[in-house]
Amino acid sequence: MSAVVLDKVTKVFNQGRADEVTALAEVDLTVGDGEFVSLIGPSGCGKSTLLRLIADLIEPTTGTVQVAGKDAGRARRDQDYGIAFQQAGLFEWRTVRRNVELPLELRGMGKGERKARAEEMLALVGLAEFAGHYPAQLSGGMQQRVAIARALAVQPPLLLMDEPFGALDEMTRERLQAELLGICAQTGTSTVFVTHSISEAVFLSNRVVVMSARPGRITAAIEVDLAARDEAARQSERYFEHVTAVRQALRGVPATT
Amino acid sequence: MRRVLAILAGLLALVALWEGYKAVGNPDGTVLFGVRVLPRADDLSMPHVWTVVQRLGKPELTGGRPVWIVVLQACLFTLGITAVGFLVGAAVGLLLAIAMQRFRLVERGLLPYVILSQTVPLVALAPLVAGWGGTIMPPWATVAVIASYLAFFPVAVGMLRGLQSPAASGVELMRSYAAGWWRTLVKLRLPASLPYLFPALRLAGAAAVVGAVVGEISTGTRGGIGRLIIEYSREATSDPAKVYTAMLGAALLGLVVAGAVSLFELPLMRHRRHVEVVTL
Repeated sequence: MSAVVLDKVTKVFNQGRADEVTALAEVDLTVGDGEFVSLIGPSGCGKSTLLRLIADLIEPTTGTVQVAGKDAGRARRDQDYGIAFQQAGLFEWRTVRRNVELPLELRGMGKGERKARAEEMLALVGLAEFAGHYPAQLSGGMQQRVAIARALAVQPPLLLMDEPFGALDEMTRERLQAELLGICAQTGTSTVFVTHSISEAVFLSNRVVVMSARPGRITAAIEVDLAARDEAARQSERYFEHVTAVRQALRGVPATT
Repeated sequence: MRRVLAILAGLLALVALWEGYKAVGNPDGTVLFGVRVLPRADDLSMPHVWTVVQRLGKPELTGGRPVWIVVLQACLFTLGITAVGFLVGAAVGLLLAIAMQRFRLVERGLLPYVILSQTVPLVALAPLVAGWGGTIMPPWATVAVIASYLAFFPVAVGMLRGLQSPAASGVELMRSYAAGWWRTLVKLRLPASLPYLFPALRLAGAAAVVGAVVGEISTGTRGGIGRLIIEYSREATSDPAKVYTAMLGAALLGLVVAGAVSLFELPLMRHRRHVEVVTL
């Protein structure tokens, strides 16, 4: 069974009005179980829209979206995914730990279990000692790490991430990339990851999906087969070959791999 | 400690302003082109602060209880009415705000009337309420209804703004958690509205005091500070300091209500304090 299946999905905003925009046109995409897929493309190519369709935060104009073999709406109600946005979007009146606990709370998890899980997730993103702080007391990058911990807290079978590392510095970014890969490998989580960064997409993904704008459509899908994904891989020749391939695809040159 | 000093300094400044104007102002007031631009500074219009304070200690009528006890008792009576009016008004405002947030149609249909309600002069409305309500409730309750009529407005408008304040990302996050309207309200909208609620409650508190005082006067309810202001102002020509004692009482009432709101606010807004950003 595939984690995500999009079948001829079209999304038109403000349909029938003067400011009508076709964000996505006839997009087909399948994300296999345990697969890590990155969506990359210029601003306005509809990659965030695609992610929000999978999350059932918006509905497709035509076509169908299936998550975990179910209709996307059903999957959302069953909470089959965790999501992290560009902005951290933390609740300022909750401490860091209680922010991470929020999705667990809504799932009806017991207090003690919730606390333990939240602390575990905060340790993962390196913020264990900030559990009692309020979001306003943290820097933007730290807030983003809390948001990632919150998305991971429910240990979802599908992880949706919309440029989650965009606001982070290079060092933190690379560390969190490695940790995200570790978590995904360990738990068999499927991931759809929206990014602007070619190197990030190549390092993280099994497959990089390249999109073009106006109307948003998929122009190429590049399989990435790195032997390992560690510091050495970032320097390897195969890695740079893939980076070049993605770059060419983004420019509209036919892919060579 | 610094806050106490600041309050004392504020009080002193007020007294200095009053007495300063009395010292330099024209006893007959300043008239410019036939319009009085500055008030009379004579003892009849502006008694000395210490005269007012002294008046508090003297008996109300010869052989009666001292004025401060009478004023305090009237304050307590009106405080009860204000509290009831405030609580009822705040509850009504809260429910209206929630209904308006929940249903766009209610907001469109109701909000203009909510605003319109406050343009009706209170003195015109109060006798009506007394007339209708007088048959089913005691006089103090009709006054509380008038107070709540003024108090609900800031809460309804402020809370609506507060409930609508969460960013789209927060609402989407709740949607991604499959949280329905009620849980989004409890976990997101209500906590997010608190910074809007407390200023609204302060306004509502002040409005409830005004409503109670004016309500007492226009319905002729006995025992409260509103009645006392009317009674004492009749003696203003012979005993000008007396009416100021009643006004001090009304001001005290407002302070007590504002203080009560602050007490309620402190534990709920803890996260707003100490916002030193850690940069790591």
